[in-house]
Amino acid sequence: MAEIQMRGLTKRYGNETVPAVDGVDLTISEGELVVLLGPSGCGKTTTLRMVAGLEQPTAGELCFDDQVVNDVPPDRRNVGMVFQNYALYPHMTVRRNLAFGLQARRTSKEEVARRVDAIAELLGLENLLGRRPKELSGGQRQRVALGRALVREPSVFLMDEPLSNLDANLREQTRLELARLHSELRITTVYVTHDQGEALTLADRIVVMKDGRIVQVGTPDDLYWRPSDTFVAGFIGSPGMNLWTVPWTDDGEGVSLGRALWLPRDVLPALEAIGPTVTVGVRPEHLACSAEGRRGEVACRAELVERLGSHVQVHARLDEGGGDGQRLVARLDATTGVVAGRDLILSAPLSGVHLFHPVTGRRVDTGDHLAAVDAPAGLVGVGASHSSLSGMGRSATGLRPRSATARSSRVTVPVPTGPPAGAVRSGGTRVDLT
Amino acid sequence: MQDRLTAYGLMLPATAVFLVFFYVPAMYLLYISFFHWGILSSATRFVGLANFRLLFHQPLFVHSLVTSAYYTVVMIPATVLLSLGIALLLKDGLARRGGGIWRGAVFLPHVTPIVATAIIWIWIFNPHFGLANFVLTSVGLPALGWLQSVHWALPAVMIDSLWHSLGLYVIIFLAGLASVPRELVEVARLDGARRHQVFSRIIWPLISPTTFFVTVLATVSSWQAFSQIYTMTGGPHGGAGGPAFATTTDALLVYQTAFVYGHFSLAAAMSVILFGIIMALTLVQRWISNRVVFYR
Repeated sequence: MAEIQMRGLTKRYGNETVPAVDGVDLTISEGELVVLLGPSGCGKTTTLRMVAGLEQPTAGELCFDDQVVNDVPPDRRNVGMVFQNYALYPHMTVRRNLAFGLQARRTSKEEVARRVDAIAELLGLENLLGRRPKELSGGQRQRVALGRALVREPSVFLMDEPLSNLDANLREQTRLELARLHSELRITTVYVTHDQGEALTLADRIVVMKDGRIVQVGTPDDLYWRPSDTFVAGFIGSPGMNLWTVPWTDDGEGVSLGRALWLPRDVLPALEAIGPTVTVGVRPEHLACSAEGRRGEVACRAELVERLGSHVQVHARLDEGGGDGQRLVARLDATTGVVAGRDLILSAPLSGVHLFHPVTGRRVDTGDHLAAVDAPAGLVGVGASHSSLSGMGRSATGLRPRSATARSSRVTVPVPTGPPAGAVRSGGTRVDLT
Repeated sequence: MQDRLTAYGLMLPATAVFLVFFYVPAMYLLYISFFHWGILSSATRFVGLANFRLLFHQPLFVHSLVTSAYYTVVMIPATVLLSLGIALLLKDGLARRGGGIWRGAVFLPHVTPIVATAIIWIWIFNPHFGLANFVLTSVGLPALGWLQSVHWALPAVMIDSLWHSLGLYVIIFLAGLASVPRELVEVARLDGARRHQVFSRIIWPLISPTTFFVTVLATVSSWQAFSQIYTMTGGPHGGAGGPAFATTTDALLVYQTAFVYGHFSLAAAMSVILFGIIMALTLVQRWISNRVVFYR
């Protein structure tokens, strides 16, 4: 297995002024599975193709195990790749597809047969070896493409949106299969996708790209709980984070954002540094229905309610005071009983509130005063929001364990009208912010 | 019913043209091949297979078949290899440096009238001041008689035919090559295949339908070669097919038998035989294609 290093990797096509990939610096450790994630045209596939050797970098260095491979042709990089459309040789049987790479490298017949049979067994292709690709289903083709890339025992494994042609059920099955394969084989893997679900479930680390540049590199938890800017905040999560820009005021007890949201005063230094307004972000799944009219809660009107079985997705418009009539999306428990046209009071835990610079969009460092708070508190209160999070299989506060109080609060609890300085009160639980 | 009438109505003009100018003359040609028939004579007499028997006792007819076969056997591989080679060059190499201009340059001879290209090549093959002999002598090779030589007249005609027809076949091969997904070539390179392996094991099988199509077209047009031979070796002043019948192909002999010597029944019988040969070759090619051509 190889370690991959990219140093200022750049790709510019022809005389285009805007590079497709612009100075990417990234190290991928041996055996790591890194997902390149971003919208169409962000440069993720171009980066992958440069790693494969199918595109020549315009500038920068690409190294495998400290060896510069910029000028090494693809056939000498020992890279296996799965393409979006599988790229199976249509005129060859599955066996010949699997054997082609080994035969091209003049492997002995016995060894070719042994390795093809082994990979066919690993991927459950034994009964398909005599068929041609057009006689296979999408999932079977996908497995053959995986097998063809793996049979050569590559030191780097590249996948370019390999699940995008599969239906939803098959995609989920294959995703699990890929995770199992990676944990068994531990081949250094670079995986390109625009599907954040795939990225969050498969990756050791995710690289979010935009306009040819890396925006953030981190674990799935990092990206979910500490997005570096509003782009990542909006891109990660489905639907993306609610973002709205509001003025803030210090009312002596806390900081009011607009006329509804409320934060403890500890965030004051950070807010003073960025000016009179701040962009606030709350994920839809961190919002929950709350008691009416309490301080620190978001008043809005439900405009559209999508029923998605286990939960409902509410598209609402904030009341004037809360966010100047801006829209928000909330993912609420299916039993909430929200209907379109009704007024709604929503709350969120402090750990689910993110602050961003209103102009640059960069994350505002609050010194962990928000992210570190385990219990629902402050502008919020409510364990119900955590109940929706528990369905995601992650702790409500990301890397930190949740408090027993918060975990057990599944219904609306007493919402504070304002906590004492330096502390946030929630459900009778006092939490120090310092 | 309305739809059916509309369909027949739309088909009528094309059907009428084919009937009047193709099927009826073809049927009539088949008819007169069994008769003694003259264009100015009213005495038409059924002779059965006599015309066909007579032909196979004519050394010139047998010679023309051999010449046509030789012409075809050389032209098919030359056409396929050269047009595929040029198409590969245009696709991979020259495409990056003014590909459109190169494609246009290759296709230009095909849209030039064949008589015009033949006249250009007559000049090129002139034994005394032609470009071909100038090039040969410049590199120390002896000058050739070209169109005045029994051995070199047919190769000279072949060169002209290739030059004229290659553009079309190059375009067909370019279309075939464009249909090969780029990912297949890339994945083969990642699999460790060298350039020649990528071509022989991936590209060549995938463009086999195109190759088959070009082969059939080249076969038919080679057996029917007429205009370039007629223009380069004789023209309206007579003597086409020379020197010493070295360039007398079957199609040329059909023309001469009918319109120079006035033996229409014999020419019709020759045409029927030519049709049979082309049909047989096409069927053989089709039989082979079912075994070696890969259709996606």
